[in-house]
Amino acid sequence: MIQYAGIMLILIGIYGLLTQSNIIKIIVSLNIFELGLNVFIISVGFVREGIAPILTSVNNHNGLVFVDPLPQALVLTAIVIGLGTTALGLAFARSIYRQHGTLNLDEIGGPSNG
Amino acid sequence: MVNPVLLIALPLLLAFVSIVFKAYKNNLLVFGTLLNAGLVLTLNKGQYIIGGFQPPFGINLVLDDFALTGILIINGLFLVITLMSLEKLEGFASVLLVALAGLNGLVLTGDLFNLFVFLEITAITAYILSSASKEYRYAFNYLVLGTLGSGLYLFGLIVLYAVFGTLNMADLSVKMAAVDASQLVLPSLLIFIGLAVEVKILPFNGWVKGVYSGTNSLVGPLFASVYAAGMLFVFGRIFAQVIPLGTYLRTSLVVLGALTLLAGEVAALSKTRIREILLYSSIGQSGLIAALFLSGLVFVAVMQLVNNALSKAILFTVAGQMADSTGTDEGEELQGAFLEHKIAGVGFTIAALSLIGLPLFYGFISKMNLLFGIFYSDNYWLPVVILLGTVIEGTYMVRLLVKLWTPGDEGIVSEKAFATERPLTIQSSKVMGIVVLSVVLLIGGLLPAVIQDNLTDSGSLLDEVTPAYLFDLKGGQ
Repeated sequence: MIQYAGIMLILIGIYGLLTQSNIIKIIVSLNIFELGLNVFIISVGFVREGIAPILTSVNNHNGLVFVDPLPQALVLTAIVIGLGTTALGLAFARSIYRQHGTLNLDEIGGPSNG
Repeated sequence: MVNPVLLIALPLLLAFVSIVFKAYKNNLLVFGTLLNAGLVLTLNKGQYIIGGFQPPFGINLVLDDFALTGILIINGLFLVITLMSLEKLEGFASVLLVALAGLNGLVLTGDLFNLFVFLEITAITAYILSSASKEYRYAFNYLVLGTLGSGLYLFGLIVLYAVFGTLNMADLSVKMAAVDASQLVLPSLLIFIGLAVEVKILPFNGWVKGVYSGTNSLVGPLFASVYAAGMLFVFGRIFAQVIPLGTYLRTSLVVLGALTLLAGEVAALSKTRIREILLYSSIGQSGLIAALFLSGLVFVAVMQLVNNALSKAILFTVAGQMADSTGTDEGEELQGAFLEHKIAGVGFTIAALSLIGLPLFYGFISKMNLLFGIFYSDNYWLPVVILLGTVIEGTYMVRLLVKLWTPGDEGIVSEKAFATERPLTIQSSKVMGIVVLSVVLLIGGLLPAVIQDNLTDSGSLLDEVTPAYLFDLKGGQ
C-alpha cells in the first residue's frame, strides 16, 4: 500500500526535524517530509487498472478508466513551492554560517529569556 | 465592473516588472499599493470564476462581505504602512508587492488548494521580510515551522479531497455538514495545526518571539497588523464557515484559544522591552480572535480583528521607530520619550487604550459587542477569561504609557529633566500615518454607526451565532 510509504516518509521527516540540530540536515528532513506528502497525494488519485489521464489517438473514448489527474496537478504545484522554500532555507543557512561560523543550532544557542 | 483577480494579478505583474527595472522598484511599489487601495473601493460583491470552469470544478474568487472587509483592511493598512516607512524599504519592494498579491489571494480565494498556494506565497515573503533584522536563525526557525505547518494543512486538505472529492470551499462545507463531525477530526485537526502556526496559537507559536522582537518600523506593523489580519481572516473563513467542528473538538480548540490569550497577556506583563510587550499582546489578541471565530461569532471577531490590526499598526510603527533611531526599545531607557513627540505619543496612547477597550475608542465598541455576543451564545466561562486578559493588558499598557509620558522614578515628582537623552526621531510621514490611523480609531469609537453602516450588510449576514457560508453554491452566474 503506497499510502503507508508516504506516511512513513512524513513521519521520518518529522522525526528528523525534531532530532537534528544541523541546519542542512533540518532542510533535508523538511524535504523528506514534503516528499512523503507528495507520495501520499499521488496515492489518493490512484485507480486500479487506470491509465495515464492523457487523450491520444488510441485512447479517445469515454469508456476508459483514468487515474485522477487532479492530485498530480496539485503535486506539481507543491513540488515547485517546496523548491522555493528549500532554496530560501539554504540561503538562510549560508547567512547563518557567515554570521556564526557554524551550521549547528546547538552551538549558536537560542534567544535569552531574560 | 472590476474583477477582483486584478488585486492579485497587478501586484504580481508589478513585482516582475520591478525586478527588470530595479531603479524604479520603490515607485512601482507605491504605485501598486495605491492602485490596489483604489481598486478595492470599486469592487462589486459576488463570485468570480477564473478560467471558465464552473464551480465546484474550477477555481473561483469569493467576494462576500467577509472577504470585502478583509481586503479593505489589508490593502488600506498596507498602503498606510508602506507610505509611513518608505525609507526602510531597502531591497524589499518586490517582496512587498508579492506579499500584497498573496495576502489578497488568501482572503479572496474560494478553493482550498488555491488557499494553500497563497498561504505559501505569503509565508515565503514573510520569511524574507523577517530576515530584515539580520537575525537569520530566527528567520530560519520561522521557515521550518511555517513550512511544516503548511505541509500539515496540505495533508489535511488532501484527506478531505480523498473523502469528498472536492476542493471548493462552498461545496465542501455543504458536503461536510452532511457527515458526522466526529469522523472528520483528523483532517480538521491537521488543517487547524497548519493555520495555527501562522495565526500564532499557543503550542505552535515558537517562532513569534524571535521574529517580532527584532522588527523595524516597516516590518513590525506589517507582520503584526497586515499579516496577522490576513491569516486570521483565513482562519475565520475555514473554521467558522467551511469546516464544521464537533462539540468536543470545538470546545477544546476554544480552550486553546483562551489559553493563548491568557498566556500571551501574562508573558507581556513580565516583559520590559516595548516590542516584546507588544508581540506577546499580539499573541494574546490572536488567541482571543481565534476563540471567537471558533465559537462561531464571526461578526464580533471581525470587529476585534479590525481593532487589533489598526492599533497594532500604530504601536509597532512607534516601537520600531524608537528601536531604529535610539538603538533600544527598553521601556526604562525611553522614559518620557513622548514629551518631545506629542502627536506620535497621543497616537500611541489612543492605540494602546483602544486595544484595551476603553470608551471613546473603537476598541470599546468591539469589546462590548464581543462580550454581549458570547453571553448571548450561552457561554459563561469565556467572558471571564477575556475580562481577566483585559485587566492584565490594561495593567501593562498603562504602566508602559506612564513610563513613556512621565519620566522619573516612582514616588518623586516627574520632571522633564528625567527624560531620556536618547535622540528619538519620528519622521513627519510616520506622524501623518499615525494621525490617520488614530482618527479612524476615534471615529469608530465616537460614531460607531459610520463603520457599522459600511459593515451593515455584513452585519445582517455575518451576525449569526451558527456558522453559515454565505453565497450561492453555483455562483451568481
